[in-house]
Amino acid sequence: MPREQEKLTVTNIENEGAEATGWSRRAVLRLGWISVLASGILSLWPITKYLSNQAGLVQTNSITFESKLEAGSDWYKVPNSRVWVKRDTSGYTALLANCTHLGCEVKYHSEQAKWLCPCHGSSYDIEGRPVGGPAPKALQRVAVQIRKDNTLTIEVNKPVGMDVRAI
Amino acid sequence: MTERKTNNSFLNHLRPRSVPRRAISILYTFCLGGLSFLAFIVLGFTGILLMFRYQPGEQNGFNSIVELASVVPYGSFFRNLHYWAGQLMVVSVSLHMVRVVWTRSYKPPKQLNWVVGVGLLLLTLILDFTGYLLRGSQESGAAATVAVHILNNLPGIGPSLAYILFGNPSPVSGSTLNVYVWHCVGFAFAALSLQGYHFWRVRRDGGVRPL
Repeated sequence: MPREQEKLTVTNIENEGAEATGWSRRAVLRLGWISVLASGILSLWPITKYLSNQAGLVQTNSITFESKLEAGSDWYKVPNSRVWVKRDTSGYTALLANCTHLGCEVKYHSEQAKWLCPCHGSSYDIEGRPVGGPAPKALQRVAVQIRKDNTLTIEVNKPVGMDVRAI
Repeated sequence: MTERKTNNSFLNHLRPRSVPRRAISILYTFCLGGLSFLAFIVLGFTGILLMFRYQPGEQNGFNSIVELASVVPYGSFFRNLHYWAGQLMVVSVSLHMVRVVWTRSYKPPKQLNWVVGVGLLLLTLILDFTGYLLRGSQESGAAATVAVHILNNLPGIGPSLAYILFGNPSPVSGSTLNVYVWHCVGFAFAALSLQGYHFWRVRRDGGVRPL
C-alpha cells in the first residue's frame, strides 16, 4: 500500500502544471535536454576554430646568415636551423636537412662525405642524392639570395633545383 | 500515466522514488544548488578549452591571456564564459548557503551535508582566487604575494605550504605552474568529488530531486 502511494506522488509530480499551463514538468525537462544537445552541436564549429587556430605561432620562412665561407667550402650548418650552406666554385647553395623519407633531421658526415639519417638509416651522397635506406628522393635545395653586405637570405619555402647557385 | 520509453536503470537509480512536495517548489530552493552545479559544469568545459591555449608563468600567463582575447577565434568568448561562470558560482553558492540557513535545512539529519557544503564553499572561493592569480595581471601578483605572506605566518609548515600552493610568484604576476596545477587538477577534482558526495547526501536525506 505505501508503495502505491509513492508511485502516485511521482506521477502527480511528472505531470504537474500540465493542466494549468499546457506544460508538464516532463515537457519542460525534455526541452532542456534538447537545448543542451542543440547548443552542444552548435559549439562544435567554434570549438574546432578555437583549437585549430595557429596565429599565435611564430613562423619565419627566411633565414639570414652572415657567410664567411670561401669558395670550395664544405657543407656548413646555419646555427639554430635545419639549413646547411655550401659555397663551391659556381656560387652558394642551401639544403634542407629534412630526410625525404619521414622528415627526421639528417646530418652531414664530412669524413664519409655522406648525409646520414638517424631514424631509419637513409644515406645520401655529398650532393644529397639518396644512396641507401628508404629515402625516395634527394634532399631539398632552397633559394639563396646574396645581399649587398654579403649576408645570405635563405628562403626555406622556395625549393630550387640541384644545380641552382647564387652568385 | 505515460509509459517510460527509456530503460536507463542508472539514471532511474539516481532519481528518488518520492520527494516532499514543498522541496520541488522553486520558491523553496530558488534552484541555487542546481545553478551552482550548472556553473561548475560550464567551468569544467570552458576550463578544459582554456587549458589548450593557456601557459602558466610570469611572462607566459599574461601573454597567453592576451593572445586568447585578441587573436584566437572565440577565445574571448570561452574565457569570458569561464570568468562569468566562476563569478556566478561564487554568488550562487553563497546564496545557496543563505537559503539553507533560512529554511533550517542544516538541521539533523542534514547536519553532515552542511559541513560538506561549507567545504564546497571554501573550495569555490579557493578556485576563484587561484583563477584570479592565473590571469597573470599585476593585481594577481599582489594577491599572490599577500597570500604567500599570510601562509608564511603559519608556524612550521607555513613556508612549505606557501611554496607547494603558490610556487614562487613574481610581484607582478601570480601565474605559476603550481597555482595552475592546483586550480585545474587538485582543487577542481576535489570540488567535483565532494559535490558528488553532497548530491548523494541530499538524495539520501530526502532532499530535492535532481534533474
